[in-house]
Amino acid sequence: MKAVGASLPRYDGIAHVTARTRYVDDVRVPDMLWAKALRSPVASARILRLDTTRASRMPGVHAVVTHRDVPKNVVGHQEVWGIDPDEPLLASDEVRFEGQTIAVVAAETEPQAQAAVDAIELAYEERPAFTDVRRAFDAGQPQVTPTGNVYFYYPDQPQRQIRKGDIDAAFAAADVIVEGTYRSQGIEQLPMEPAVAMAIPEPDGRLTIHSATQAMYYSMDITARHLCLPMGRLKFVGGTVGGGFGGKLDTQVEPIAALLAMQAQRPVKWRLTREEEMLCSSTRAYCHVEIADAMTKDGWILGRRTLSLHDAGAYMRTSAYSCSKHTFHLAGAYTIPACAFNTFVVMTNRVPSAAMRGFGVTEASFAVETHMNRVAEVLGVDPWEIRLKNANRVGDSSPSRVVYGNPSTVSTLLAAADAADERLSGEYASMTNHARGGELLPAHLVEQQSEPRTHPLAWRDARPAFEGGK
Amino acid sequence: MRLTVNGRMHEIESGPLASLLHVLREELNLTGAKAGCQFGSCATCTVLVDGRPRRACLTLMAAIEGAQVTTVEGLGVPGDLSPVQQAFDEHYAAQCGFCTSGMMLAATALLHDADGPLEREQVVEALEGHYCRCTGYVKIIEAVLAASRGETGERAPHQLDIRVAGE
Repeated sequence: MKAVGASLPRYDGIAHVTARTRYVDDVRVPDMLWAKALRSPVASARILRLDTTRASRMPGVHAVVTHRDVPKNVVGHQEVWGIDPDEPLLASDEVRFEGQTIAVVAAETEPQAQAAVDAIELAYEERPAFTDVRRAFDAGQPQVTPTGNVYFYYPDQPQRQIRKGDIDAAFAAADVIVEGTYRSQGIEQLPMEPAVAMAIPEPDGRLTIHSATQAMYYSMDITARHLCLPMGRLKFVGGTVGGGFGGKLDTQVEPIAALLAMQAQRPVKWRLTREEEMLCSSTRAYCHVEIADAMTKDGWILGRRTLSLHDAGAYMRTSAYSCSKHTFHLAGAYTIPACAFNTFVVMTNRVPSAAMRGFGVTEASFAVETHMNRVAEVLGVDPWEIRLKNANRVGDSSPSRVVYGNPSTVSTLLAAADAADERLSGEYASMTNHARGGELLPAHLVEQQSEPRTHPLAWRDARPAFEGGK
Repeated sequence: MRLTVNGRMHEIESGPLASLLHVLREELNLTGAKAGCQFGSCATCTVLVDGRPRRACLTLMAAIEGAQVTTVEGLGVPGDLSPVQQAFDEHYAAQCGFCTSGMMLAATALLHDADGPLEREQVVEALEGHYCRCTGYVKIIEAVLAASRGETGERAPHQLDIRVAGE
């Protein structure tokens, strides 16, 4: 334990400052080929014709791959969570977002690969695109997937939901209802190192793949499944990532580089440009969040209704998981006895959303905290005080009925106030997270407090029946 | 075409319209300069050309025939680090390390031009346009300031001193 609290040098510090850290783009092997991609120029289209014959005959070209070359083109990334596979590695009969990968070429030089990409013959029929999540339930909208624009979590349930307490009673009892709509942006991870992979075909039929993935075994598994190879035939070399932040998980470059390498029987490196990173790689989802709080005039939150529309883009990826997290966090760090949260995964003709630093939760935090300020303003109460009195305390329960043992809301708020040179009034400045009592335990908070469960999996009891969109 | 890189002269085979970044990485196998964006907006490709920081991705060979180029590989080696390299290591100024080469070369030029400790504003101005997505810049700036105060290593901070592996 002598390392705890000690100041230790980074194990890779010397390598970083002498540029001896070897990123994938720095790996040198003889006879390497460069890859370039053909990408969809439109947000939604039916592909009528894809002919790579001319491209494959261009100078320097050694391999071209399309959907026909992928042993298993559609592989689920989230099947363990019950999400059906829906995304092709390479587009086949349609494209659902601008920038979607259609074909990739490997050639002796980057300019030669790009010239061959430009020679691929692509005929498509453009379709109207669906991009506004607010129209998710409108009739007559373009349908992004065969099953529509809203993902069904369960056969009869199109949303992630939480129901707790009596929301109608809470709203009826309120002095003021405060509403707000918050829309967060899609955030690009923007690592300084663009996505890159290099695949090397070994003489015994195995593949060595240099990858910048954030998750080696995850990417190995997905690559093996696309290629229909046992994992033992792959050797992944990685662990050096020039920034990931969630953007180097989606595992598209590795399987495609591998297919090109197998076809060409030469090492192939696919290095995305910064434009491709910005335009075609996943981002954190855009999210539209509507909140309505039932408030007493002295700042107690009696109940909260939410509607969240998460822009999943064209394919599911991690959106269902993201929206589960999102929903659990919609009370923020505050105790709300009556909750009716509805979160919808909405498919759009955009780049698929995926992981980006706290995805799902960050959108909820932004909406919830901004809303708290709005509530304080409407009621004419102090924004620090309203947070402190509603803050989670020992014995309070979350929307999903997890009982808090030692919540840090109060101490965090006090530390934040101190850092912001905010002078809190006497009783607020000395608040603690101890169990509610006296003035901090109004009648409406008693019931949620007296539901402590001793069963460690209490959250499982919390799943309510679908109430028809209430 | 001829180019001197880290004190050694090279005959360059790439044509006059090749970028310095391409020549360094692909012809000379000096991979310290990175291909972060290839259009001059991230500064991970920064090298020194005749002592001045330049974006190697936007520098054509035709424009620098005969120039002296310094890359991160010429600053120092394990066991013989430059003051800036030492400062970056000691102050945890590198996380993923991808922006580090460019940052250090810009800082090295800044220190070479200065004759004493720097102010924070001078460091910030010299590093403008150098993106880092990991560190939040605070420790990078601290490292450069520490180097300017002579706090790191025995080599003089305000001298540009080429040290290459094997020499």
